[in-house]
Amino acid sequence: MKYSERVDMFKHVKERYIEFLSSVLWKLTGDRELFTEAFQYAMLGMWRHVEKLNGKKARAYIYRIALTANSTAWRNRIGRDGQISEDRISIQKEPQKAADDSELAHKVRQAIVELPARQSRAVVMRYFEQQNYGDIAEKLGCSEAGARSHVSKALATLKSKLVTLRKGVE
Amino acid sequence: MNPDVNLEEILKRIGSEDVPADVHQIAKETSESFGKTLMQTRQQKHPILGEHIMKSKITKLAAAAVIVVAVLAGLPFLGRNSSGVVLADVLERIEQIQAFMYRTKMTMTGAMMPGMPKEMEGMVTTSEGMVTVSNKYGVKVETTTVLKLSQEDQKEMTQQMYFLPDQKAMISLMPDQKKYIRIEYDDEMLANMKKQNNDPREMVKQIMRCEYTELGRSVIDGIEVEGFETTDPSFMAPMAKDIKMRLWVDVENRLPVRQELDIKVNEQMQMQGVVYDYQWDIQVDASDFEIPPDYTLLAEVEVPGMRDEGKTVQALRAFAEITDGRYPSSMTMMAIVQESGKVLKSMGIDKIKDPNQEETQKLMNKMMLLQAPYIFYTQLVQENKDPAYYGDRVKAEDADAVLMRWKVSDDQYRVIYGDLTAENVSAEQLAQLENPPSQ
Repeated sequence: MKYSERVDMFKHVKERYIEFLSSVLWKLTGDRELFTEAFQYAMLGMWRHVEKLNGKKARAYIYRIALTANSTAWRNRIGRDGQISEDRISIQKEPQKAADDSELAHKVRQAIVELPARQSRAVVMRYFEQQNYGDIAEKLGCSEAGARSHVSKALATLKSKLVTLRKGVE
Repeated sequence: MNPDVNLEEILKRIGSEDVPADVHQIAKETSESFGKTLMQTRQQKHPILGEHIMKSKITKLAAAAVIVVAVLAGLPFLGRNSSGVVLADVLERIEQIQAFMYRTKMTMTGAMMPGMPKEMEGMVTTSEGMVTVSNKYGVKVETTTVLKLSQEDQKEMTQQMYFLPDQKAMISLMPDQKKYIRIEYDDEMLANMKKQNNDPREMVKQIMRCEYTELGRSVIDGIEVEGFETTDPSFMAPMAKDIKMRLWVDVENRLPVRQELDIKVNEQMQMQGVVYDYQWDIQVDASDFEIPPDYTLLAEVEVPGMRDEGKTVQALRAFAEITDGRYPSSMTMMAIVQESGKVLKSMGIDKIKDPNQEETQKLMNKMMLLQAPYIFYTQLVQENKDPAYYGDRVKAEDADAVLMRWKVSDDQYRVIYGDLTAENVSAEQLAQLENPPSQ
């Protein structure tokens, strides 16, 4: 494909998905600086894979690009080894802060970065985008039962992390 | 609180969040900028914010602290829009490289360090450095600085600094004393350090978000290069507004070859520099980033957090107590460095002849604290929080006057008054506070 054609295709794809991409990335980051960085990586991702973003599976690819961009942005913040440091993930010692939902939301967002790729995509589609399991399955390229399983495993991982953290607090 | 219930509630709540208008704007600008750069070409660079060293032991210590501020605050990180493609290619190429080196040469004209006599204002400082960057281990900076006070009087000093992300610390070695100072950061600060500390990837992004022009092709050391130039004030705001930065990229491998910087910090201080001799994909190991075993710890300090309003107020209070109720005149690096220097001097810091560990520790703590307002303010600027600071006209006695303010939400501002009390006010109230009706 000619470069100019690629540019045109990118422009078209960008216009089509910018709102969607912004929405997903904002929900995943909840932080302007992280959002900006993730958005940049997402643009890069879209450019690299622009050929794939014109077909039926475009939205599924966009999810993948968004999740990857989000992970990269978070990892830039929390360490290249991908490990979220204890002091960032652990719940504050003060009970009143532990109860702070926005603090927890922040931690949940961080924990999503650590989920396996399909689980994180599944949980994002299910909870952030309120999609039904049929749609999730289609985008993940698996059965509906498989989609449920991914969501369920993701929740279990996230919950166990929160429970562990709570034990540490108590 | 039951986490089983709470998790799903939190996920649903996150899912129901609308994208704020300013975030939409960021996305729009970023994507437009990216699209624009697709039509242009590529670029990259990386920062060097000169290291400044003085002759006395005390000012050497001050240098370490000032460098921290310079490194932390000199360059805006990812704050707004950006991107490029070919530029993206450059970025992609650099991201594939695990370790690299480069050399720097800087010439600074003018006095910057605190406590310097007037006659030193015309002095010239030249500094040559070698920087090693490893994704795995961190960044190592080795610098030799020559301070030319006059034709006959010049001093030379060698300094080594390590930025160790895994330890969330910067280590400044003092070879002549076989001592080191350890400066620790919180996670957020560390993340920003990683982003901007001599990291070409961040510079690519930084250039992309600025206005720039293409210089066309040229040849450097036998390599065909393509050049880019920015004079966009936002490149180094708020540290310096008058800047010219040129980046030359290898046409063949799309990696930076040379970077030229010309910065006018203010009327007193100018810097010219070049970054060159990049060596990509080098071999490094952990020992390259270890403190030599014969060095001992001289002081250990923490850098104030980037969003630490409490430390900011504490520092302003400390400043005002020593200066008869005055605050730093502006939130620029020069003002903070120079005026903090005077404050430290008035506290008798220059009387310490040979600082021991305890004295050094105290000194470093004070210096770090005094930098808190600048770090905080710089962060607000970079986050587009519409900050303003009126230290040039508001004193401690002006209890109800706005000393500093910034946006905390679409219609709310946080205000620190002259008496250092703080509250949130509406935009309308702020307008009245900042422009009280004339008597």
